[in-house]
Amino acid sequence: MRITQGCFSFLPDLTDEQISSQVDYCLSKNWAIGIEYTDDPHPRNTYWEMWGNPMFDLVDPKGVMMELEACRKQFGDHYIRFNAFDSTRGFETVTMSFIVNRPKVEPKIRMIRQEVDGRSQRYSFETVR
Amino acid sequence: MDGDIPAPLPTTVDLRAEYESSGVKELLDDLDHEMIGLKPVKQRLRETAALLLVERARKSLGLTHHTPTLHMSFTGNPGTGKTTVALKMAGLLKRLGYVRKGHLVSVTRDDLVGQYIGHTAPKTREVLKKAMGGVLFIDEAYYLYRPDNERDYGQEAIEILLQIMENNRDDLVVILAGYADRMDKFFESNPGFRSRIAHHIDFPDYQNEELHRIAAHMLTEQNYVLTEGARAAMDDYIALRRGQPHFANARSIRNALDRARLRQANRLFSSAAGPLDATALSTIEEEDIRASRVFSGGLDSGRKEDAA
Amino acid sequence: MNKQTEIKGKDRYKAGVLKYAQMGYWDGDYQPKDTDLLALFRITPQEGVDAIEAAAAVAGESSTATWTVVWTDRLTAADQYRAKAYKVEPVPGRPGEWFCYVAYDLILFEEGSIANLTASIIGNVFSFKPLKAARLEDMRLPVAYVKTFKGPPTGLVVERERLDKFGRPLLGATTKPKLGLSGKNYGRVVYEGLKGGLDFMKDDENINSQPFMHWRDRFLYVMEAVNKASAETGEVKGSYLNVTAGTMEEMYRRADFAKSLGSVIVMIDLVIGYTAIQSMAEWCRANDMILHLHRAGHGTYTRQKNHGVSFRVIAKWMRLAGVDHIHAGTAVGKLEGDPMTVQGYYNVCRETFNPVDLERGIYFDQDWGDIKKVMPVASGGIHAGQMHQLLDLFGDDVVLQFGGGTIGHPMGIQAGATANRVALEAMVFARNEGRDIKTEGPEILRAAAKWCKPLEAALDVWGDISFNYTSTDTSDYAPTPSASS
Repeated sequence: MRITQGCFSFLPDLTDEQISSQVDYCLSKNWAIGIEYTDDPHPRNTYWEMWGNPMFDLVDPKGVMMELEACRKQFGDHYIRFNAFDSTRGFETVTMSFIVNRPKVEPKIRMIRQEVDGRSQRYSFETVR
Repeated sequence: MDGDIPAPLPTTVDLRAEYESSGVKELLDDLDHEMIGLKPVKQRLRETAALLLVERARKSLGLTHHTPTLHMSFTGNPGTGKTTVALKMAGLLKRLGYVRKGHLVSVTRDDLVGQYIGHTAPKTREVLKKAMGGVLFIDEAYYLYRPDNERDYGQEAIEILLQIMENNRDDLVVILAGYADRMDKFFESNPGFRSRIAHHIDFPDYQNEELHRIAAHMLTEQNYVLTEGARAAMDDYIALRRGQPHFANARSIRNALDRARLRQANRLFSSAAGPLDATALSTIEEEDIRASRVFSGGLDSGRKEDAA
Repeated sequence: MNKQTEIKGKDRYKAGVLKYAQMGYWDGDYQPKDTDLLALFRITPQEGVDAIEAAAAVAGESSTATWTVVWTDRLTAADQYRAKAYKVEPVPGRPGEWFCYVAYDLILFEEGSIANLTASIIGNVFSFKPLKAARLEDMRLPVAYVKTFKGPPTGLVVERERLDKFGRPLLGATTKPKLGLSGKNYGRVVYEGLKGGLDFMKDDENINSQPFMHWRDRFLYVMEAVNKASAETGEVKGSYLNVTAGTMEEMYRRADFAKSLGSVIVMIDLVIGYTAIQSMAEWCRANDMILHLHRAGHGTYTRQKNHGVSFRVIAKWMRLAGVDHIHAGTAVGKLEGDPMTVQGYYNVCRETFNPVDLERGIYFDQDWGDIKKVMPVASGGIHAGQMHQLLDLFGDDVVLQFGGGTIGHPMGIQAGATANRVALEAMVFARNEGRDIKTEGPEILRAAAKWCKPLEAALDVWGDISFNYTSTDTSDYAPTPSASS
């Protein structure tokens, strides 16, 4: 199942050149780029593991791409995403996020229903491999 | 993104037009205009620009496909304009399309080498990531190598640098800078660097007359003038200062002028009785310069350059 | 204009009728204080009524005045309570219409109450006989007053964090047909839209609890659909559950049920009234809920240029009252709105400071004092073929809602949703790459349609549809051609 988190999941998987072009855009806005990876794409799994701290003050995307390469070497069969951070007052959070690597076989997410009251259900999710 | 058929290669190239349209001419003209002296350096920069322009033209005609090695060494004494020229070089490389962004990241050993095990690699990588797309200027690069300590962390930085200089020639240009003699020794013991450096530019010391013009230029920019006597004093100062320790060419001049301005301000403050006009406020007198300790035997008291 | 002067001293309070200007509601030399509320009215005085006197009347009728002199004024600090018209100027190119600026002292308004604010500013004056028409064009709300409101319960920044969606506009669709679907059928539409790639589905403004679908049924089926779509995509999804009802008690009941089912968002209609909106905002703050406002009914008073209240003012009030989403126009769709004016509404929702921008209808600097930002919603007659225009006009912080453009897709609802999502992502991607989407937009869409059949079909069906009618509510300071021309 293709997880469609992030802002480019409905496009064909991005080439490194395309990823670079998007990083370039982020850097032109003075956003810091953080690389994160996980094997659990649960929609409420907010905190993926950080591949080092977000990178500040870069000028060219190559620096980010070098880290991506290193991250892929170790976690090539994980999800890897880029988060761009905007420190502008009034925003101060992630401002762009997209997946740059997927496992060969993506897990499924199973919805679990729990009867509550009448026909009401309590819904929860579970990642299944 | 579309896979169109590549356009046919051009059959001729107009170098003169490229020279102007790329902005290289403008940059070199600026350099001539802004920097006093440095004749051999300017000559070398022109030659390098010509080579890169031709290389680019050859590429456009399909005569060559690889990126030339562009790493450089800038040798010369302090204050001879190495950092300033590095900035220009970054601009030149950007205009010719050899680096993508053209910024200059200037570092020394402390920025690259860590204090403990495992500290150096991330530190060096951090600097390299910031320099990507531009020029990495390593001042006094020979401090990276300490032959007396074989477990020195500098070696780790050197290895990472060499690897990047080889594998990422499209991504950044490294300029190693420092005193000529020490750089020679450094290259002797690190043949890896020697073989990866394609351009050597030597920065000669400024002539006395050039330093005098530099002083005049700096003062004009700050709206100050020297009196007749002060000009003579400045000439004497330059001749004397050169023979004293820690002489740093243009940098010594800048420091000397900062001191002179301080003395001028003090003089005005303690002596002025009535209102001062613009001329008084911007005139540096002979005494403002002659009070320097350079005239009384120099800096042997152990005080450094900034006490000039 | 005649010279109008305030009558002072003992003559001021003689029994009888004075002109408003003579009563002190006009002061051409007045310098507004930082803490004053400022209002800009467009007025059309009756034949023979002097513009300054009319402006003074507006100031008077929206503050302390009545038609005659009352001695009881003298028991108060009346001079300070009087609103002051301080500037009157003709509207460019509209003979007979005047812009009049009025300043109100902060003491005239109750803290944190839109009801009180509006009862003062628009309570009386719009029916005043000496005016043929009046329109409240804009207001400057001093930070001192802004700070008495809590503003949006969530705000667009935190909304994105909750939804884990960054770097692109959000996508939605209104479930159609508006009326008649059973709960079970209704949930089907929601599931298809969300699974196909939308972030939100939406109840329409008049879906409440009619005979064909009880609200509880709708909520239960919709939440089954929302959660199932979430599991199928790995994304957080939502559907605006409209809790609009006849009483506050009933609205709370519905909102509580939505919350118990795990919905991230509830919805209300503008027609429930300002106080009800503020109460629902209060409830949302207490329950971690995003509050969607459908601006049902606003067209009755926002659309005509010479009479009513501009939508930019409604948007300002709603940002204070505290909603997270507000429908603010599309500029290119089927509903009223010229592009510059609509951009003005968006700026009111999203900026921390609105500088004066006459072309976009912003007449005052407005400092929002760090109050949260409202996510504007573009909805009504828009489709995937306009993606480049929408992104260019509104940027990333907007919900783009394609109702018919999703559900009416020839290959089905999922395909419709996918077409929109692909068009959106392709356009954001291209813009970030530095392409000029305004001119290359159609080309970018066609390129994406080559590998995305649903998008190809959508472009084939709707690619040429545009709504090029002249807007009635346009800027007085700029030529404003239709965006799609």
